[in-house]
Amino acid sequence: MTGLFGRVERFVHEYGVRIGQLVMVLVLLALWIPIALVVFMSFAASGVLSFPPSGFTLEWYARFLENDAAIRSIFTTMQVSLIAAPITVALATMISYGIGRYEFRGKSSLQLLVSLPLIVPLIVVGISLTLFFGFLEIGGGFWPTVASHVIRTLPFAALIILPTFLTFDQSLEEASQDLGANEIETFFQITLPNILPGVVAGGLLAFTISFNEFVYTYFVGGSGMETMPIYLWNQIMYSATPEVNVLSVVFLLVAIVMVLVAAFVTNVERVART
Amino acid sequence: MMFWISLLDGLPPGASFTLENYTRIFDGIYLNVLWRTISLTVQTTVLVTVLGYTLAYSMVRFTKRTTIVLLLIILPFWTNYIVRMYALINIFQNGGVLSWALNLVGLANGDFGIMYTNEAVLLGLTYVWLPLATLPFYASLTNFDTDLIDAAKDLGAGPLKAFFTVTLPMTFNGLLAGVVLVAIPAFGSFVTPELLGGTDQIMIGNLIDQQFNQAFNWPLGASLGIVVSVFMVLMLIISAKIGSRVLARHGGSDE
Repeated sequence: MTGLFGRVERFVHEYGVRIGQLVMVLVLLALWIPIALVVFMSFAASGVLSFPPSGFTLEWYARFLENDAAIRSIFTTMQVSLIAAPITVALATMISYGIGRYEFRGKSSLQLLVSLPLIVPLIVVGISLTLFFGFLEIGGGFWPTVASHVIRTLPFAALIILPTFLTFDQSLEEASQDLGANEIETFFQITLPNILPGVVAGGLLAFTISFNEFVYTYFVGGSGMETMPIYLWNQIMYSATPEVNVLSVVFLLVAIVMVLVAAFVTNVERVART
Repeated sequence: MMFWISLLDGLPPGASFTLENYTRIFDGIYLNVLWRTISLTVQTTVLVTVLGYTLAYSMVRFTKRTTIVLLLIILPFWTNYIVRMYALINIFQNGGVLSWALNLVGLANGDFGIMYTNEAVLLGLTYVWLPLATLPFYASLTNFDTDLIDAAKDLGAGPLKAFFTVTLPMTFNGLLAGVVLVAIPAFGSFVTPELLGGTDQIMIGNLIDQQFNQAFNWPLGASLGIVVSVFMVLMLIISAKIGSRVLARHGGSDE
């Protein structure tokens, strides 16, 4: 092995590991530096448009807490997410139970149907929902938004709940029924405690996605639905104030707490797979 | 339903069927946007694939702190999309962090920014989709038996030859999954070009947004949505075809 290719091979042999590690560190830095900067800038005294800041202050946090529109958007988001996430979890659990337990016609198409919204671009589903609700003459507003959030979060929840159904020992259910419990008793006393970690993780992730959801809300919700992401979008588009940094920190904290809890309830690998 | 609306010349009731919405898409300005969308999608996908695959490979082969690295990749992915875009605006804007850093090392003089450029949108899309693509790369690399690399090397292959004849074909389905997972949403993105590209770097998603939320021309918006859907279906069919052909040639599955 001589010539150019041989020399390249020798170079890779010598430095390949270093280069790989370097890329890894650089990519991780590139992922985190922008996020760290947002946190940093939320304490900056000089406003949004200059770096480095002239000093540090908690003023933006104080202003944020006094900003009625921002606080209202938090409540709107909480209302939507706290209704949408439990509905999603209930539906995802039922779908997983069906897929995990029974053989039925159309099972594989149901599985496909559940995971399809993962691939379809958000904007396509967004406008389809707008057209759908428009056609039903429901228009935008609260409940269509909740419904669209359920559609958005269902695949993620189902993907995380389904494996817990598939891995747990079904003979426990049979034993319970042999001992005289009916199917519903068995579900609540045997099945549910066993799948609970998956259900909790699925619920947390559903909540997190719904909490952060922008595109569906933007298209379906209409002007009356100002959730936090919509509020953030309007701020950035039309009137960026340093409070945007504070709002971003709020989002960041929610995401980190939720994902860490979900990851430790199940495991990191499973959260990664979804 | 989207398809049905896309064929109308107004909103039902009282609309008649027409192909006009589709012929309009292939007019000058729309064609420009379509071309930019395709170009940005290809650039993003290539950049994400090279970086993401290298990252995943390093996670599997070159570090022992895989779980921490995995968490560090997942967490930004779960952080609000708009927050991440805003974070990049902080960096890209005139007099922002990039300008400061370049001035510091002497590569630039005075205020400098890359907002509203092709590069800004490209970096934004890459930033957003890199974690998503890394995960299938990582999954296929962990399932792949790395002893095979050592075997190839024992038989005299250099590291590059081992990579291209063993590792890459064996993890090809994971690679394909990552590519599809990036290309499809990148093609349909509108938040990133809106925030980082402004009016200069409009992608097809922004046109859809305009038709739905400003011009209220739902039929035209729907027909643009169909274009995005057709791209998605094409990507899925092509990847399924390529995937099964590679499988047939190498006589095995990696997953």
